Amino acid sequence: MRWFVKATLIWAAIGSVIAVAVVSLGLYNVSARQDHLPGVSWVLHTTYRNAVRLRAPDPSQVPDLSDTGLITLGREHYERACAFCHARPTETRSQTALSMLPVPPRMDDAVKDWEPNHLFWIVKNGVKMSGMPAWPSDKRDDDVWAVVAFLQSVKENTDAGTKPISQAPTPTSAPFDFEQKCATCHAADGLAFANKHIPRLDILSREYVEASLKAYRNGARQSGIMQEAASQLTDQQIDDFADFISSMDAQQTTAKTGENVDRGKELASRGEIKSGVPACSSCHGPKAAKKSPYYPQLAGQSRTYIEQQLKLFKEEKRGGTQRQNLMHQSVDGLNPDDISALAAYYSSLNPTSDN
Amino acid sequence: MKNVALISLSCLLLSSCSGVQSVLDTAGKDASVLAHLFWVLLVGAIVLWLLMNGLFFYVTRIEPRELSRRAAEALVIGGGIVFPFILLAGLIAYALSIMPDQRAAGDGVVVRVTGEQWWWRVEYDLGDGSAPIVSANEIRLPVDHRTEIKLGANKVIHSFWVPALAGKMDMFPGRETRMAVEPEKTGIFRGQCAEFCGESHALMAFQTVVLEQDEFEQWLERERQDAVQPTEAVPRQGEQLFVSEGCGACHTIRGTEAQGNLGPDLTHVGSRKSLGAGILPPTAEAFSNWTRHTGAIKPGVKMPSFAHLSDRQIEALGQYLEALK
Repeated sequence: MRWFVKATLIWAAIGSVIAVAVVSLGLYNVSARQDHLPGVSWVLHTTYRNAVRLRAPDPSQVPDLSDTGLITLGREHYERACAFCHARPTETRSQTALSMLPVPPRMDDAVKDWEPNHLFWIVKNGVKMSGMPAWPSDKRDDDVWAVVAFLQSVKENTDAGTKPISQAPTPTSAPFDFEQKCATCHAADGLAFANKHIPRLDILSREYVEASLKAYRNGARQSGIMQEAASQLTDQQIDDFADFISSMDAQQTTAKTGENVDRGKELASRGEIKSGVPACSSCHGPKAAKKSPYYPQLAGQSRTYIEQQLKLFKEEKRGGTQRQNLMHQSVDGLNPDDISALAAYYSSLNPTSDN
Repeated sequence: MKNVALISLSCLLLSSCSGVQSVLDTAGKDASVLAHLFWVLLVGAIVLWLLMNGLFFYVTRIEPRELSRRAAEALVIGGGIVFPFILLAGLIAYALSIMPDQRAAGDGVVVRVTGEQWWWRVEYDLGDGSAPIVSANEIRLPVDHRTEIKLGANKVIHSFWVPALAGKMDMFPGRETRMAVEPEKTGIFRGQCAEFCGESHALMAFQTVVLEQDEFEQWLERERQDAVQPTEAVPRQGEQLFVSEGCGACHTIRGTEAQGNLGPDLTHVGSRKSLGAGILPPTAEAFSNWTRHTGAIKPGVKMPSFAHLSDRQIEALGQYLEALK
């Protein structure tokens, strides 16, 4: 028995010396040219796949991914943030991306054996020690699903992911980067190709755009997509974009009517004592002439977008500019029906005549 | 030395019995009846205490001898049952006889007070079918006149209490309670929420201003008017800011665009004796401080802080609000 203890101790000492030598003398070759030792790749990959399966949300939490607007939003973000490593469908990638270890899987291959809930987990969390980053915002899940919707459309080979052609000509006054950085989603005329998930810009003031882009840039306002888009903007670019956006003429949209619209109008213009909801119109219009330009005007804004932002405020998942605390207080008394009615009302307004 | 300390301590305790929020330093009919009741009970209790202790002293020290069974039974039954019964029955009859007067209705203007977290919504109903005159955090009453007060609450229970004028009455969401007050002196008397209603319960106070009848009517007429437009440049800036920053989403200033009704009506806020429900003086500086540090001054308050505005803007708002006489 005694010789066994002795032998174990000796081997443990030898093992420790080797381990210390490997770490401190740099004996292990970390070169990405050298593949892992035999078996290590298998261990890592199997661990990864099982970890994703264990942690992914339940399939019942997957929202409707066939929404074209969601798919195109996801595609534009993919284009900006993911395509370098994972390639556009059917296209090749740079030799640099191919020289990574592990080589990032081509997106059209990778989606084949994952379900949407798994893809969601991977996009949101990234994968440790593989080069796959986590989603820039840890608070919001809704914009992660946009990317998943795009991946799923590629997997199912639907043509929903194909790029729509902008009908609006790019105005010549657009700043140099606007077309590259903003217009791909928001369109050159600011109307976002009528994508209901993307806010229209033509109704926004210079001050609000500037404050919001800065809030995205410093992380005060959350969105994986917009934080990616805004994180490297310079003050000069933000100024230029804000100038350009505020110079857009608000486009006319047809006013709509409806039952929910009336309820929304009542709530927006008078507030409600019982639930503690202040009157939205005091800051957000319509009739914005005397309002602070730091409050976004909402007449004609996308219904889905307004509804989503109100939900995020209510769930305390949305920050914003320095005035965000006003909204956190204001949404406290809203229930889901109120939110839907307010979104219906504001989206029903024509920004050119109601202001 | 010990005596000096004792005397100063008693003076300190007694001094808290006078002042603007005292049940003993009364200024209203109902409160003086209650104070009278208090003194009667207090004197009665002192007399009883002296008698009981005198008796103990007598039977243990002065005349310590056994009583006969008869005398002992007479003492127990007489002193333990008959005497307290008669005394308590008398007191109950006296106290009950006071109650109808305490519940007596008022006439003239009806003041409707609603407890909010943590302030008081005040409406004066003239009873002539006109819209009530809305105010907040201050109640004005005519002297020597019984005024009806109708009480309600929003969300949680509060209690309405102006100790110098009358007893307290709870305020319930969804149910109206009532009381009446009959001030006998002019002056300013402090009221306080007397039912725990959340984190800033202790900061939910108000001033009651008792005026001569004609002064009260003049004041009511002024209170009914729209806000006066400021003439000086800085308060005018404040007026524009009040609209552009969206203050009107919650506050009303009659005669302007601001028509919100979640928070206190501010039409004549500069003429009130206090700000923030009895906790700050009504100065421009205090208005500015309040706007900047709402949550620090009144924890849990629904009004968000406007610290994002510049100092100059906050000052302009403060001067505007102070000018709303």
